[in-house]
Amino acid sequence: MTNRFAALPFLAPVHLLLFGVIALPSLYVFWLSLNESSYGTDLVFVGFENYRTILTDPYFWRAAWNTFVVVNVIVYAELLLGLALALAFARKIPFKPLIFAMILVPYAVSEVVGVLVWKILLNPNFGLIGRTLADLGLGLNWSSSPSQGLAVAALIGVWHHLPFTFLLLYAGVLSIPQSLYEAARIDGAGSWQMFWRVTLPLLIPAILITLIFRLVFAFRMFSEIWLLTKGGPARLTEVLAVYLYQGAFRYADFGAASATGWMMVIGSLAVASIYLFEIHKRMVKGDA
Amino acid sequence: MLKLLSHATKISGMALFMLWSVGPVLFIVVSSLKQPIDIFAYPPQFLFTPTFENYVSLWNSWPAFFETMGNSLIVSIGATALASAVSFLAGYAYSRFSGTWLAASAFYMIAIRLLPPIVVTLPLFPVVDFLGMSDTHATLIVLYAAFWVSLFTMIMKTFIDEVPRELDEAAFVDGATRFQTLWRVILPLAVQGTLAGAIFVFVFSWNEYLFALIFTTNAAKTTPLVISEVMDAIYGTDWGVLFAGVTVQIAPVVALVACAQRLLIAGLTAGSVKG
Repeated sequence: MTNRFAALPFLAPVHLLLFGVIALPSLYVFWLSLNESSYGTDLVFVGFENYRTILTDPYFWRAAWNTFVVVNVIVYAELLLGLALALAFARKIPFKPLIFAMILVPYAVSEVVGVLVWKILLNPNFGLIGRTLADLGLGLNWSSSPSQGLAVAALIGVWHHLPFTFLLLYAGVLSIPQSLYEAARIDGAGSWQMFWRVTLPLLIPAILITLIFRLVFAFRMFSEIWLLTKGGPARLTEVLAVYLYQGAFRYADFGAASATGWMMVIGSLAVASIYLFEIHKRMVKGDA
Repeated sequence: MLKLLSHATKISGMALFMLWSVGPVLFIVVSSLKQPIDIFAYPPQFLFTPTFENYVSLWNSWPAFFETMGNSLIVSIGATALASAVSFLAGYAYSRFSGTWLAASAFYMIAIRLLPPIVVTLPLFPVVDFLGMSDTHATLIVLYAAFWVSLFTMIMKTFIDEVPRELDEAAFVDGATRFQTLWRVILPLAVQGTLAGAIFVFVFSWNEYLFALIFTTNAAKTTPLVISEVMDAIYGTDWGVLFAGVTVQIAPVVALVACAQRLLIAGLTAGSVKG
C-alpha cells in the first residue's frame, strides 16, 4: 500500500451517495420524530410524544400486526416453493433455459402491473379466476373483507418475489459440489437420504441469507396494499409503510410518520442483525 | 408404475409453476390483441383473430403514455449509468485496498441498504422541494442509484477480485495511471459483473412505484405511475388500450431478464451469497 488515502477518490462517490440519500435522511428522521411538524410550520421539540401517539394508536398496532402476518406468510411460502423449484432445476430437465426464463417473468414485471392483472383475474364479476370461484360459491370481495385483502396482497407478493427467492436458493444449490453426491451414492444413499444428509445441511447458509433478505425486503411492502385496497376498509389492511405514508402525506403529521419510520429502521436492523453479525465476523477474519 | 407416477407428478408440478408465473402476463398480452368487447368474455375465448386495433388506439389516443415511457427510459438509463460508474470505482477500491477503515465502511455500506426506502422520503420530500428538484428526472436517478450501489459494489468487488493483480502492476510499470489502468485493463475484464449489476438497477428503475408516486407529479412521471392512475379510474377504463400499453411497458424488460439468466445468477452469487 503506497498511501493510505489512495482508496479515497474511488470510494467517495459511493459513500457520498449513500450518506446523502440514505444515512443522513435516516438519522434526520430520528430528529424529526422528536418534533411536532407539518407543512410549512417550524419544528417544535416534543421529546418522545410522537412515539406515545403512535404506540397508543390502535391503527398502528393493526398495521404492525398485518405486516407481521403478511411478511411471514409471504416469506415462508416463497421459501418452500423456491426450494422445490431450485431442487427441480438442479436435475436434468428438458428445455431448461426456456422454463427458467418463464419462471423469472414475474421478476421483470412492475408491482403496479402485478396488482393490476391479479385484481382483474380475481374480480368476482368479470375475472377469469374470480368468476370461476364465484360460480363455486367462493365469491371474493376484498374491498369489504380485510382478511381477503391481505390474502390477495400476500398472493401477489409471492407471485412477484418467488423468482428472486428461487434465484438465491438456486445459486446455493449450484454451489454444492457434485462429488459429494457421487460419494453418497457409492455409500448407497437413496435420493431422500441425499436430500436430508447432503443437500439440506449444505444449503442452510443460502436458506438463511434468503430468509433474511426476503424478511427485510418484504417488511417494506407498500405497493401491493396501496394499489389493491389503499389500506381499507376502515384502515384495516394497512401495513407499516402504508400507515407511514398516510401519516405523512395524507394527515401531514410528519412527527408521527417519522416516529413510525424510525421504528421501521429499528425493525429492519433487528431482523437483519443475525446476517450483519455474520458478515461482521467474516470481515474481521478478513475474507469477506 | 411408481416411477411413472412420480414423473407425472413432477411434470404437472412444473407445468403449474409455469402457468402461475407466465399465465397472468400472457393474459395481458393476449387480451391486448382482442377486440375490447371480447376481453372479458366468459367463458374465455382461446381462439380469436388477433387485432392490433388496441395498439393503434394507444398510439393515437394516449400520447401521454409514450411521454411517460420516455421518462422511464431516461430515468432507468440514468440510474443504471450512475450506479455502474460509482460501483465500479468502489468495487475496485474494495478489491485492491485493505484496512480496518475500509472493512468498516464496507460493513456500513451493506447495513445501510437494508433500511426501508419509504423512511428517507420524509426528510427528502421537503429538501427536494426546496431545491426545486421535485418532479425532475435527476431526483429519481439519484434515489434509484443510491438504493442499488451497495449490492452493485459487492458484485464489482467479487468480479474485480478475479482479475489478476499482476495485470495492474504490468500496466503501472508501463507508465499507466490508476485511472488508465481501471479503464483499459480492469473494466474490459470485469464487464460481466458490470452488466449483471446494471440489469438489476435497470429492472428496478423501470418498474419502481413508491418514489415515483412521491417525487413526481407531471414532467418526470414514469410509466408504472400512469398505469396505476388509469387502472384506478373506475369509469371508462379502456381495457384494450391499457393492456396494449402494459404489454409495451413489460416487453423490453421481460426480454432482457429472459436473455440474461446467467448474468442474474452470477450477480446474485457475487453480490449477496458471498456477502
